[in-house]
Amino acid sequence: MAAPTGTGTRGCGAPAPVEMARNGHNGTTRGGNVADSADRYDRRTFLRQGATSAAGLALAGAGAPVLLSACGASSPTTTSSATTTPGVSRATPRVGGSMIIGVSSEIDGFLPAQSHFDATGLTYANAVFDTLTSVAADGSVRPHLAASVTPNADMTTWTLTLRPKVEFHDGSPLTADVVLQNFHALKTSPLTAQAVTPISSVTTSGDLTVIYTCTEPLVAFPAYLTTQVGYVIALSQLDKNDSQVPVGTGPFKYVSWEPNDHFTVERNPSYWRAGLPYLDTITFKPIVSDQSREASLRSGTVDLMVSHDPGVIRDLQHDPSFQQVTDLHSSVGQPDMDFICLNVVAEPLSDLTVRQALAYATDPAEIVKLFGDNVLVPNTSLFPPGSVYRAADNGYPSFDLAKAKQLVAKAAPAHGGSLDISLVDITDPRQGLIIQALQSMWQAAGFKVSLNQIEQVTYIDNLVGGQFQAAADEMFSAPDPDLNYVWLSPTTANPPIALNFARNKDPRIEAALQQGRTHSDPAARIEAYQNVDKYLAEDLPYLWFSQAPWSVTGSTTVMNFANPVLPDGTRGLGFAGGVFTPAQIWTKA
Amino acid sequence: MARYIGGRVIQLVVICFFISIVAFLLVHLLPGDPTYTILGPNDTAQARAELLRQLGLDKSLPAQYWTWIGNVFHGNLGISFLTHQTVSNAVGEAFPIDLELIIVSQAMAFIVAIPLALVAALRPNRLFDRIATTSTYALLAVPTFVVAVILVLVVAVKIHIFPATGYNPLSQGIGPNLKSVLLPSISLAVGSVAIYYRLLRADMIATLQEDFITMARAKGLSTPYILLRHALRPSSFALLAGAGLSIGSLFTGAFVVEILFQLPGIGFQIIQAINARDYLVVQGMALVVAIAYVVINFGVDILFTFLDPRVRRA
Repeated sequence: MAAPTGTGTRGCGAPAPVEMARNGHNGTTRGGNVADSADRYDRRTFLRQGATSAAGLALAGAGAPVLLSACGASSPTTTSSATTTPGVSRATPRVGGSMIIGVSSEIDGFLPAQSHFDATGLTYANAVFDTLTSVAADGSVRPHLAASVTPNADMTTWTLTLRPKVEFHDGSPLTADVVLQNFHALKTSPLTAQAVTPISSVTTSGDLTVIYTCTEPLVAFPAYLTTQVGYVIALSQLDKNDSQVPVGTGPFKYVSWEPNDHFTVERNPSYWRAGLPYLDTITFKPIVSDQSREASLRSGTVDLMVSHDPGVIRDLQHDPSFQQVTDLHSSVGQPDMDFICLNVVAEPLSDLTVRQALAYATDPAEIVKLFGDNVLVPNTSLFPPGSVYRAADNGYPSFDLAKAKQLVAKAAPAHGGSLDISLVDITDPRQGLIIQALQSMWQAAGFKVSLNQIEQVTYIDNLVGGQFQAAADEMFSAPDPDLNYVWLSPTTANPPIALNFARNKDPRIEAALQQGRTHSDPAARIEAYQNVDKYLAEDLPYLWFSQAPWSVTGSTTVMNFANPVLPDGTRGLGFAGGVFTPAQIWTKA
Repeated sequence: MARYIGGRVIQLVVICFFISIVAFLLVHLLPGDPTYTILGPNDTAQARAELLRQLGLDKSLPAQYWTWIGNVFHGNLGISFLTHQTVSNAVGEAFPIDLELIIVSQAMAFIVAIPLALVAALRPNRLFDRIATTSTYALLAVPTFVVAVILVLVVAVKIHIFPATGYNPLSQGIGPNLKSVLLPSISLAVGSVAIYYRLLRADMIATLQEDFITMARAKGLSTPYILLRHALRPSSFALLAGAGLSIGSLFTGAFVVEILFQLPGIGFQIIQAINARDYLVVQGMALVVAIAYVVINFGVDILFTFLDPRVRRA
């Protein structure tokens, strides 16, 4: 997450939290019915497929070393006047009704410790489960199932107190022991074990208190609990290892799941947040093609849809029949980035001069112009414009074909006279066009470039296993930069499974990442991640293009789909990275 | 007749046996350790042991086949490593969708193609025949996905009559069910209309030149009666053979339409499973599709025996 302001106890009269810098950018209305999400972060990429499973999660979270406490579960505040901000309504909600939501993929189950929750998985999970903490619209982390999360002085121990009288869908109570059992499942699962590696032990104290002990100061601990590892499932599901039928504390209860066809949930009448949810039933329809999803929305087959396709985002953003929220221009949290990942241990890319030549030969503005559908904007940094973590000038090379040619001429003799690069991507038509454009740019500088498009699972395996030279990629979204540690650290760049796909082992980056992880001083963290940005621009394991936006678009009868209110009454993260919370959506009659 | 059918049944069993071997070997033809290939990054000791147990990979190949085919006969095709759903369930959910798509689309195709072909064959190379032949040429040239996209844009997006995506099972009512399969069925039917029209027209023109048709005309029988009672049956062999092949191929060939309309049929599920390396699903679906294909064509062969006595006597 980008820099949360640690107003973690705002509205509750609790002690002031540690203050951190932030750039809280609230949603603004552009055009007719478009808003940028106030709350940008994406927990999607890491869990996208199995490749990441062996090593950990891209844990979203706020990273603010805040004291979290709740004043109790309050109901969302409503007034009688409606607003025209897309996805936000302050009118009195209508209780009842049903809705069909078009999502972009199908998941592989409902076990937080074992299933790969991509954007769809997290949205499904938000319907049937609750996380222990949540991210607020301003980027801070707030209590959710937890009533409070409190660190010791050096932030190596975190004490979490649960809300009392919360029940799972099967009627069993939420207790500290249930949270402990959930943690054990996370700790022993290959998918999630590395994500919770910094947590050395967990104990309980009484029915509602869980104590987490960390191996080092873990400033972003509350943020971890906003993510996949923060969902708590009932022991009846956990003990049976049942990935098919979710049993959580969430606002909706499972009705049916037919993979690749639908996931249907119904209102949980015993939901611990009084008055919620508003809808009686929701049916999620996985529709893989963005264009088919758009057609489904336009035909009324679905009421709400997410999209990651700039063309579809563009098509719908100025249509008065719909209201759209995007996370493109939000600087709360760190968004996904589109970039080329270079394997810095593979010849000839192990030569910094070769990587520099590629960087100079690549024109992000041209790529965005060709394929951005007037939605994308160029970005040559790990962080988006407006982020406090973004260095004012990170030194990333600007497009300069003459310079690229010079560097190719300089480097080629050391590599047999020819610089041959294989560029790989997934089998997506749009991506195919993008890598063709890159091929053209790089060949203009003197490279010999071959292209290869492969199915996604193999693609991820190849990245994890290092079987690639250059790969078009998209990742790094997280609400706190610390949650990208596993992708960037030299400690995760070793074979056989390297989550640092680029295998860049710059000790300066490790030092900066450790500084960001363990220092609660906002200035120190900002300095640390700005340095990471600069070192990446020097090492060039990544060739940046642009942010990779998500949108959620609904018909005008769908209300409040990007405006959750958290249990403590603050505004929650409405929409980011294709993920939203369905509990407070309602429909006009 | 019984002997003919008996012979064809034996052939069917032999073909199914070979199909089962090919489907069985699908997992074993994966490069390297199939458990690693199937599990990929999910390769944990527990998952590996479970997969080994499921596949019986610690036994000899014949013993593995015996175990596998035994499980198949008990309806156990394994468990999807993607969704953890049984493959039998996945097949059970996908198969009816294809079946309905095929029935509706082929019914449409026959309803349109047969009258067109009869009328066109009656006066070959005249205006109607030329229009019909040219139109079906055009239909043949239009890819199914183009038809599907046009239908979605016009009928679903603009006019809002039918849903753009999704499948409503019969349990939700015949109306919603038909609404959800109509556009995909039309998309599939368009190509079939063209093929069936051309097959039937050509045979019908030849049949109408036969002596027995001249005799029927001489007897003063009406043209519709001659066409339907005397000419249609002997003209429909190529049509039936073509329909058998076409219907069989639609089980997997409909995947483009299934993806565009988000219908989780067999073809759609196979594509998803291939992309996710969910090989047990691919194996199970491939087995079912292949058997369905040969069974359909077996049915067509049996139908021939009723239509043509020469086949029975052969």
